[in-house]
Amino acid sequence: MTKLSRTAVLLAGVAVVTGSPLAAKDAAGEKENQAAAVAAAAAGPSDIDLMNDERSTSDVLTYGMGPRAQRFSPLQTINAANVARMVPAYSASLGGEKQRGQEAQPIVYDGMIYVTGSYSRLFAFDAKTGEEVWQYDARLPDGIMPCCDVVNRGAAIYGDKIIFGTLDAHLVALNRKTGKVVWNKKLADYSAGYSFTAAPLIVNGKVLYGNSGGEFGVVGKVEARDVNTGELVWSRPTIEGHMGMLNGRESTMTGKLNASWQGDQWKNGGGATWLGGTYDPDTKLAYFGTGNPAPWNSHLRPGNNLYTSSTIALDPDTGEVKWHYQTTPHDGWDFDGVNEFIPFDHNGRKLGAKADRNGFFFVLDRTNGKFVSATPFVSKVTWAKGFDKAGKPIYVPENRPGAPTAEKGQSVFSAPSFLGGKNWMPMAYSQQTGMFYVPSNEWGMDIWNEPIAYKKGAAYLGAGFTIKPLYDDHIGVLRAIDPATGKIAWEYKNKAPLWGGVLTTAGNLVFTGTPEGFLKAFDAKTGQELWKFNTGSGVVGSPVTWEQDGEQYVAVMSGWGGAVPLWGGEVAKAVQNINQGGALWVFKLPRS
Amino acid sequence: MRPTRRAVLGGALAALALPRAAVAASLEKVKTNGVLRVAVYRDFAPWSWRDAAGKLRGIDVELGEAIAQRIGVRAETVDFMADESVEDDLRNMVWRGPLIGGQVADVMLHVPVDPRFARANDRVAIGGAYYREGFQMACGPNTDCEVPPPQFKGKRLAAELDSIPDFYLSGGFGGVLRGDVAHLLSGAAAIDEVASGKADVVLATRAQVEHARTRLGDRLKVRRGPLPALPSPGWDVGVAVRDDSRDLGDAIDGMMGELRRDGMLAAIFGRYGVTPTPPLAT
Repeated sequence: MTKLSRTAVLLAGVAVVTGSPLAAKDAAGEKENQAAAVAAAAAGPSDIDLMNDERSTSDVLTYGMGPRAQRFSPLQTINAANVARMVPAYSASLGGEKQRGQEAQPIVYDGMIYVTGSYSRLFAFDAKTGEEVWQYDARLPDGIMPCCDVVNRGAAIYGDKIIFGTLDAHLVALNRKTGKVVWNKKLADYSAGYSFTAAPLIVNGKVLYGNSGGEFGVVGKVEARDVNTGELVWSRPTIEGHMGMLNGRESTMTGKLNASWQGDQWKNGGGATWLGGTYDPDTKLAYFGTGNPAPWNSHLRPGNNLYTSSTIALDPDTGEVKWHYQTTPHDGWDFDGVNEFIPFDHNGRKLGAKADRNGFFFVLDRTNGKFVSATPFVSKVTWAKGFDKAGKPIYVPENRPGAPTAEKGQSVFSAPSFLGGKNWMPMAYSQQTGMFYVPSNEWGMDIWNEPIAYKKGAAYLGAGFTIKPLYDDHIGVLRAIDPATGKIAWEYKNKAPLWGGVLTTAGNLVFTGTPEGFLKAFDAKTGQELWKFNTGSGVVGSPVTWEQDGEQYVAVMSGWGGAVPLWGGEVAKAVQNINQGGALWVFKLPRS
Repeated sequence: MRPTRRAVLGGALAALALPRAAVAASLEKVKTNGVLRVAVYRDFAPWSWRDAAGKLRGIDVELGEAIAQRIGVRAETVDFMADESVEDDLRNMVWRGPLIGGQVADVMLHVPVDPRFARANDRVAIGGAYYREGFQMACGPNTDCEVPPPQFKGKRLAAELDSIPDFYLSGGFGGVLRGDVAHLLSGAAAIDEVASGKADVVLATRAQVEHARTRLGDRLKVRRGPLPALPSPGWDVGVAVRDDSRDLGDAIDGMMGELRRDGMLAAIFGRYGVTPTPPLAT
């Protein structure tokens, strides 16, 4: 399908759903639509361009370097044989006093690099020189309480717009050339604890995103807005019993009322979708992960508590749930299921993979959500022995945290900790080696009942816990996993926990950053470390690569923060000497 | 896990966030400035809430004003959004300040006075206990409020989400009442369910129930009998100041005794229908 006709079809589709009798029927209107489509395409990346991002090497248009988020580049100019010579091209500071965690992935287009920074800032840098072209600072209200640092994971680009979410739960579209606001929509009420930190996903002219924050009484949902106007198109709650919305009207109920929840618990069931989603142009499904159920104490909510701690597949045009798979049924360990689901093909099978907080690496049939396999990707998993053929966990009942009581309860040791075998940081899939590269962490937690705790001036029953590294010499482990067998081909151990994304290239390379400040390159087949560079502060962002003026570039954000430095105890010892920062680093091979 | 997760965050941040620490005033500084900044919870009737006109009202609001008056300064009251635990609230409102915007207060009201809690929160000084809180069951006019709780099976129960009343009703007695519990976002909202006839039984704090009775009278019957195996004997409520403002904390501690003796506390509590139950600590 050509760019023009695809966009025209889209516009016609919009005209129908908005009920305009003229534009859809009238031939002249059709022509106008086509003209508009051409103009829109000329103004910047189109839907087709976004879907093609995986193969286009001169830009980085999507979070994940393609809607499937494989984070794989076919570029080979920089490769395992020459990466040792890679040097910085330039560095660009985010300036100011707001130097906290920089978890963003850069977007590269038309000679510009767009990055989001801590405290809801968006920067446009000249891709040749690193000079700042413009900067947008969201004006944040007082009293926002983001759970885990003031991070942002990246922007989305479309036409003449660059779009990102803010800590006060707004979605903002800026003109990508000037930084001026095109539209600014409130997604949720920050004063009820809602926030926004993920990168938006754009499919078929709609911006798809999840919700975050609002731990207390929250219900997760995925929503879609018209990319040109910011108007809401559909909304899909992730908890059974809630009604969805399409074009301003009620659509369908999510699941079945009270099928997996007792009483009215579904009303505040949790399941936030705070990490965003991926999209597969092949099956035309958008995949979103959901958070853990509420309340945290599993003994109060018998049942599977659908669709918490799950991956759900959605129709990107209507928000209908096409399938779901629950990675942690009846979660009792705070294992969010938000992690990215990455489509890949193997021996003609349409599959997808997810490395879950719960320590298992899942492979599913991405057309229908059928279970294929689940294998541990960390060295210790206490909550389940494994998964049966039907895809259900074989629990270890004595390792489920107990019901809260007025007495201090038995302490249970649980691995992984609730920070997960893998946290938010995205893994990568190499079309060259057929392997997944998973940034994982080796830690567990002691959990016990805390009989006397206080919340909003009143006593309540909580739980106490301590996060404990499993080994003395390392927490982070980058692992190469064969999705066909679950076998680990190689691993790289890092003293501090890994908290940044992974990139892999057809140059037989894997890149990832460390809290110690290094961006590192590994041989994709053997795991041998080939190159490293200290960026001056911890790397918790996701690297990207592209081609510009005949040279291949690699870029990553540097700036220590995120949730890790917020933890005390043994974990703190591994990161206590890391200083804050805030900079974009860009690398290339020297001109010989 | 979530609730305490951030409590740990707070502790760890103590060591990391020094450059952001705002400066709280000790007693002399408060007097020089002529202002006592008082932090109270938002949407927290009968202690602190905004009426239809947007004016801050409540026992804690008036108590803060009374304290300021005794010091000889004006009260500047800030109502803040509760975070996941009181530890977080102390970090946001007393010793470090919010992550984004705003500043710390000189004193925060409605802080539990509990030696164990105080030891775990050594960036603040807690004292000035002014009330003993606990939980109270109440029922609509057509419900026998005195039966053993499992006999409420089939009745419509209401409680604040994730509170001790919620855990007690949803988790106690083998969970027989779980399907009958409606979860609301505050104790006051749970009481409103009974007031509007949508629920038969509510478990909330004693202050919330007594305050509602000023409006509802006998339409809200108070249970006289004990609640078997309720996992809370009640707790003392006081104030917190920054650990380097202990002189201010000591002054407020002394004032609480005076306010009780001269009937000021009773007068303030009385305006909201709440019995000024003295703290155990006094």
